[in-house]
Amino acid sequence: MNVKRAILWRVYIAFAGVCLFGLLILWYAFKIKVVEGEKWREKAQELTTDFQTIEAVRGNIYADDGSLLATSVPIYELRMDFRAGGLSDEIFKEGIDSLAYLFSITFQDKSKSEYLREFMNARKLGKRYFLLKRRLGFQRVKEMKTWPILRLGQHKGGLIIIEKDQRQRPFQLLAYRTIGYSVDGVAPVGLEGAYDGVLGGVSGKRLMQKVSGGFWIPVNDENEIEPENGKDIYTTIDINLQDVAEDALYETLVKNDAMNGTAVLMEVETGHIKAIANLTRKSEGVYAEEYNYAVGESAEPGSTIKLVSLIALLEEGASMGDSVDVEGGITTYFDRKMKDSEPGHYDKLTLQQAYEKSSNVGVSKLVYKHFKDQPQKFVDYFTELGLAEPLGLQITGEGKPRIKQPGDNDWYGTTLPWMSIGYETQFTPLQILSLYNAIANNGTMVKPMLVTQVRQTGKVVDHFEPTVIKDKICSKEVLKKVRIAMEGVVAPGGTARNLMNPNYTVAGKTGTAQMARGGRYNKSFYKSSFVGYFPADHPKYTCIVSINGASRGVYYGSAVAGPVFKEIADKVYANSLQMHQDIEETIEVPEMETPPNIAGQMDDIRTVMNDLGISNKVIGDESEWAQTRRLNKSMEVEKRKVIGNLVPNVVGMTLKDALFLLENAGIKVQAVGTGKIRKQSMRPGSRVYRGATIILELR
Amino acid sequence: MNWLLKRIKGDPVIWGVVIVLSIFGLLAVYSSTGSLAFKQKGGNTEFYLFKHLLFILIGLGLMWLAHLLDYRYYSRISQLLLYISIPLLIYTLFFGVEINNAARWMAIPGTGLTFQTSDLAKLALIMYVARFLSKRQDTIHIASSAFYPLLMAISIVCVLIAPANLSTALVIFSTCLLLMFLGRIPLKFILAVVGSGVVFFILAATLVLKMPDDSIKSVARLATWKARIENFMGGEENVGGNYQSMQAKIAIANGGLLGKGPGNSVQKNFLPESFSDFIFAIILEEYGLWGGILLIGLYLTLLYRSIRIVIRSPKAFGALLAVGLSFSLVIQALINMAVAVNIFPVTGLALPLISMGGTSTLFTSVAIGIILSVSRNIEPDGDESEEEPVLEKGGNHVIA
Repeated sequence: MNVKRAILWRVYIAFAGVCLFGLLILWYAFKIKVVEGEKWREKAQELTTDFQTIEAVRGNIYADDGSLLATSVPIYELRMDFRAGGLSDEIFKEGIDSLAYLFSITFQDKSKSEYLREFMNARKLGKRYFLLKRRLGFQRVKEMKTWPILRLGQHKGGLIIIEKDQRQRPFQLLAYRTIGYSVDGVAPVGLEGAYDGVLGGVSGKRLMQKVSGGFWIPVNDENEIEPENGKDIYTTIDINLQDVAEDALYETLVKNDAMNGTAVLMEVETGHIKAIANLTRKSEGVYAEEYNYAVGESAEPGSTIKLVSLIALLEEGASMGDSVDVEGGITTYFDRKMKDSEPGHYDKLTLQQAYEKSSNVGVSKLVYKHFKDQPQKFVDYFTELGLAEPLGLQITGEGKPRIKQPGDNDWYGTTLPWMSIGYETQFTPLQILSLYNAIANNGTMVKPMLVTQVRQTGKVVDHFEPTVIKDKICSKEVLKKVRIAMEGVVAPGGTARNLMNPNYTVAGKTGTAQMARGGRYNKSFYKSSFVGYFPADHPKYTCIVSINGASRGVYYGSAVAGPVFKEIADKVYANSLQMHQDIEETIEVPEMETPPNIAGQMDDIRTVMNDLGISNKVIGDESEWAQTRRLNKSMEVEKRKVIGNLVPNVVGMTLKDALFLLENAGIKVQAVGTGKIRKQSMRPGSRVYRGATIILELR
Repeated sequence: MNWLLKRIKGDPVIWGVVIVLSIFGLLAVYSSTGSLAFKQKGGNTEFYLFKHLLFILIGLGLMWLAHLLDYRYYSRISQLLLYISIPLLIYTLFFGVEINNAARWMAIPGTGLTFQTSDLAKLALIMYVARFLSKRQDTIHIASSAFYPLLMAISIVCVLIAPANLSTALVIFSTCLLLMFLGRIPLKFILAVVGSGVVFFILAATLVLKMPDDSIKSVARLATWKARIENFMGGEENVGGNYQSMQAKIAIANGGLLGKGPGNSVQKNFLPESFSDFIFAIILEEYGLWGGILLIGLYLTLLYRSIRIVIRSPKAFGALLAVGLSFSLVIQALINMAVAVNIFPVTGLALPLISMGGTSTLFTSVAIGIILSVSRNIEPDGDESEEEPVLEKGGNHVIA
């Protein structure tokens, strides 16, 4: 047979087969289109698929030591489909009794029979989305998944678990307003709001399909777009100092039944805000973080602004010794009377004294004398000192400063003198703080900052350096004089003499301003503030405390705001070794036959000495704790006082004893070195702060 | 243009079919990659269009180059390619790039491109079978002369492809069997293979279906095969897994007889792989039944024009080469379409020249180029002589 023909007929057969196959495909297509068409088009209606958003996990907010200020934790809502396909009467009847019992003993909110009645009812009504419990933690849900009926899962047990992320703040109230929040439909606030884009991440997408029963199930195994989790931000907040600031402010607000208040602590060199507390009165004795006064409230600052007047006068050639007639504390400009806070004490004051005693008449008269013919020049000092523009903070909602200009409609003859003592201008507490910080920072004004780093899974992706707003706000000579004047405020002749203490020096300024309410100044509504830095010789921190509407008769800045400042400063001092002068070391005499001095439990000390054959004797009372005094041939054992709320003296003790004492007093201990304790960072006998950390130096 | 036309030889009908299919493919790919573009490329809908166009243009270039070469060279080349592709297949099996749990892909060093080694092996094997059959025409009835050695070569290649890509291996195996039938291997041998194959498959499938899920997971592709078979047999009740087939049917039903018009597919957003495995469903939705008829008609035309080569070809090798390559191509196309209309379970085969396929498009183009090369050599400058050329017995002296 012809080979070619043999191949050809085979090819034709194959070709025919392929053609038939093609026809078969077309027939199937036709069948789907026409014969089954209606059915499939209906199915398309039923089947809804949708790209559903998978929320990215929101990033955390950390304090400067890495403790969590805000984080997202999953919480669960449990619902039940009482008409789930596999939930037969048999299964239901068998398990429902013990399920009700477990609910009752676990949640303790309803009796077993109440739960049972609810479940039976829901079953009868065929509820498909019955709420079992809201806001459950992961562990609890894990446990509940082992309960009767629920353990059968979604299809047989009808269990529906809905996961949501909830924002949690482990420190609750602390810096609440500054940490802020970001919730749908509400203007975002604080760091959560300002860093929403960074924290929020990018949500993913997943193709979900609606199946019978109203459930959505994923179509593919993998997400169409993987969510990208949010980044973490690291703040400057020191959680211990924040705690102290918030506590001290709270206490003072309650004591004075004030309307609201703020306290901010800032690191001089960097502008790092270590603590920022804002409290608003809810009812008597109850305050909450509701508004960020430090950032947002632009108001007449009162006497703290006299710093601007002082710098302006000194730059214009005035000297600290210039004297001024304060007329017994009352003077008039045109038709308006100006009074000192306590008139009648002095007739003549030097500029330095006028500032220290915060004499309104004294300061305003000197300013009026120098600037009445050229008020613009005085106003320009505000701009030069960096007060004309908002600071440009890392969080939103900053209040705008307001400075009147000569020639404005509301510029009156009285504006200049009143401006010089803190009225007719408006600034936020943080602006005032920045100005004082510049003085502490040798004339360099830095921007207050809250966020230092942005990290993604631990890796730094962005970091923020301190920003200089003004390199030099005034001349060196003026700076020196101003600092002396501010130290004078916290000295025997100054308004804030109550802040003097033997441990560290403070420089600052008090402020007591009548506040305008409803367009009129109110005699009984005051802004009491104190702003300053410490230690005065080597400033490390600047702090402002501003309290509005103290209403128990006391309203002076020194009396209302001063104590808050002091408490914060005390705590900072107690926590930082570098601010301490060395505690005197006991001088050792090497030739003695007795061992070096030691402190510890009296029984222990005596047992050791007796065993070593060292003669010893107890001076005074027997007590639990003791220290030794070394004599030539013998040792004296002396009582060492340990009082509940006060920091004990642990110098000379072993770390074991010190740990016992300090941790019992509620102080955290950080030890450096080995041997006996030589130095302790908190002064013995000072008050114990909850959660404070003491640093011990061992040698 | 004239310069180019002068240099394009071979059957103009085949060239025409290729061009029309490519245009069809461009339209369908542009339409069906819309949602993919939104998901992956931020809404740059032209991205995949241009990518596909680029591959088509490179493919046309390769096709042109391949058709310039005298087809007789391909005899030796096929041998070479086969020897290259077997180690490559082994390499891919163990070290290949895994996509969807299947190690089918191999990276081309320095290009960032990957290609399926099975595409290369398929091309090589079919050419090799054509060569072998034409050489053994004299002794074709003796099993040990042609049938056993061929079955051996085919089996080696298919066994190497099967673990990662069972459906491709099956298609290649069947196509080779068909080619053996066309090359005059006695039918009884072929039927014996088919018969034992069917028995083996029924046994294997039963075993896989009966295996517990846990033990299946340890074998890379077994779970996928099991799921596919189950989906196909489970009917429409199996909602989760049968998603693709159901969406494809909805797409086909949606289009009606007349279609919704180019670019108006709704189901492309819901149908996974709508730009490759299921592109025929989208074509049926957008262009209606007429689109389907046109497409199948184009493929059958391609096949018919290759068969015509057999009539004219003086040499067995040329005839078997052209017919083998075109049957392979058209069978793959029809299987892809059969999957879309749910005659077959999901296989993962692309629709040649239409699907967005990347490097596999290039292998298809080379195959067509070789068909064109055969047609060019038997129809010098369109001279259609009526004289019946005699196919010479044997093929040993065919190679130049």
